[in-house]
Amino acid sequence: MTKKIFSAEMAGVASIVVMLLAFPLSLWYWHSAYVPGQYPPGSRIIRLTAVAENGLWTQDRVIGYSYWWKKPSRVSEIRLVQGQHVVLLLHSPDVQHSISIPELRIGPVPIPAGHTVAVEFTPSSAGELNFMCVQVCGRDHSKLAGRFIVEPSKTAGRDPGLHASRLGGAIW
Amino acid sequence: MATVQEPLARTTQPETEEENSWRFDVFGRWPLLKRLVRMRSFQFALILPNLALFYFFLITGLFGTPVGNRNMIIVFVWILWWVVLIAGLMPLGSRVWCTMCPLPFAGDWLQRRAVIGVRSGKSPGTENRFFGLQKRWPKKLSNIWLQNFGFLFLATFSALLVTRPIVSVALFAAMIIIAAGMALVFRLRTFCNYVCPISGFLSLYAMTSTLELRSSDKNECLKCKTKSCIRGSDKGWACPWNVYMGKLDRNNYCGLCFECVKSCPNDNISLYARPFATSDYMIKGFDEVWKASIMLVLAFSYSVVLLSPWGVFKDWANISEKHLWSGFGAYAAGQMLLALIVFPGLYYLAIRLAKWYSSANAVSVREMFLAYSYMLVPMGLLAWIAFSIPLIMVNGSYIISVVSDPLGWGMNLFGTADFPWTPFKPDWVPALQVGVLLVGLYYSLRGLYRVASKVLPDPAQRNRSLVPPAALLLGITLVFLKLFIG
Repeated sequence: MTKKIFSAEMAGVASIVVMLLAFPLSLWYWHSAYVPGQYPPGSRIIRLTAVAENGLWTQDRVIGYSYWWKKPSRVSEIRLVQGQHVVLLLHSPDVQHSISIPELRIGPVPIPAGHTVAVEFTPSSAGELNFMCVQVCGRDHSKLAGRFIVEPSKTAGRDPGLHASRLGGAIW
Repeated sequence: MATVQEPLARTTQPETEEENSWRFDVFGRWPLLKRLVRMRSFQFALILPNLALFYFFLITGLFGTPVGNRNMIIVFVWILWWVVLIAGLMPLGSRVWCTMCPLPFAGDWLQRRAVIGVRSGKSPGTENRFFGLQKRWPKKLSNIWLQNFGFLFLATFSALLVTRPIVSVALFAAMIIIAAGMALVFRLRTFCNYVCPISGFLSLYAMTSTLELRSSDKNECLKCKTKSCIRGSDKGWACPWNVYMGKLDRNNYCGLCFECVKSCPNDNISLYARPFATSDYMIKGFDEVWKASIMLVLAFSYSVVLLSPWGVFKDWANISEKHLWSGFGAYAAGQMLLALIVFPGLYYLAIRLAKWYSSANAVSVREMFLAYSYMLVPMGLLAWIAFSIPLIMVNGSYIISVVSDPLGWGMNLFGTADFPWTPFKPDWVPALQVGVLLVGLYYSLRGLYRVASKVLPDPAQRNRSLVPPAALLLGITLVFLKLFIG
């Protein structure tokens, strides 16, 4: 090989190595740093997936490689802290779902199949908040429900009551 | 001279005025293109973006949403890539996809230990240094039967393939691994030549393409001592497709890697543009006849399953969701029976009738069966294009949304993540399909006439021999018309 071809060869190999690293790193950055950076500091980000089969909300990742064989575990209760900003990133891996949190007057927020949508709120008092799918999504639709247990914050002041701070549609 | 396996191609130059009517030397007209092609980094520069894309597709298939129409691997491969391949690259650029295909890249790398450069040296039958065991591919398998069965098998599970990202990932990963494994064991690109299911139909439909790579002067090739096109040199690798340019007369088994353009010491190889479906008429083996049959039947079968109003077939094919095993069995068996026995049987019957009706005693049924089967090639390709029209016009809008959110993670890279499913002029689809089918019928009939003229020089015999196969072509067209426009 001539010197010129050798340099091209090295450049070719380097471009492949860069490519092999660039995609995973970019996605990792997006997932771990960029998304959290879009919300107020201290926000709690909860990724929830609605699964029509067996009617469950799960925090497991129901994605390409795992949906085929992994049984996602049901999440019935999620503990929150009063006054902490919450971001729900909701995904549907099968059919269209829709979430509602009646106590906060949130929803119905549609979660189209294959989409991820964001819902944000700040629970300002302790108590229980129910969340559920409000679009008939299959025979186990009625099971697709859970609740947030909002625990009192040690630093919380007077209780102004529960309210939704913002309702997100599709994010970004 | 060459000790590698016998090249698969035969020789003819353009024989008719029609073939020569606007055939021109692309390199002669655009010398810059020739300069680019002769650069060592040319093929790599084409492969690299596709390698990056397919790598990203694998990532989206593994880590993206399992919802097919929201995952990039499904939308980009089975809608965009497929339509571009079958309706654009194939008819216009021959096997130019093989030039840039990323699937055998890892195998090539292992075999050559170079992505751009060339290694001079000695490996069996070549003037290049290759790595691996360098075994000879079995002669009995030196045909496209494996590709035929492979494609038919994959097509049986196409409902899974085009809806489940993980299945597409598994397919492409398997192809990359098999190609790499074969490159380490066998010489040259045996995977592409004999195993790759995509390569099988590309080889058949490349016959119709408006582009061909040929030697400019076959006599020059006969005089050539080095045969660098097939044996390689310090300027280019030995032909990965094992094609000797001095005998190349069909597009089928030339993967357009352009190594021969780089290595030819006489600058005797060029790229030619030619009219559509007017040059390569010779089907040379039963494996190719069955490939034509399989492709035509699959175009029919896919149209029934995906486009027809009979939802029961869709339910049968969609085994992963419907779990109708008996229905799936009937669908799979029916499809295989139709492609391997029923349709070839019908074609055979038409040829028997043609021979009987033409009283052509000088020609055997076998010869006629092989030669006339070219008529299935343009019809098959255009039937596939007709089938693909609704894919892009009805479902093409998924591309716009998926490009912004390739994994369904909630990204919005270009602001189009929420672009709704919007069919583009769906009312035009049937008219376009009819037009495309009629073009296919025209080219098939024309090809049939041309091969018949070669096989049977007597005009009366020729004309009579055309009646049964032409009737079969008309029948095929009517069946597709029924499917497309009811």
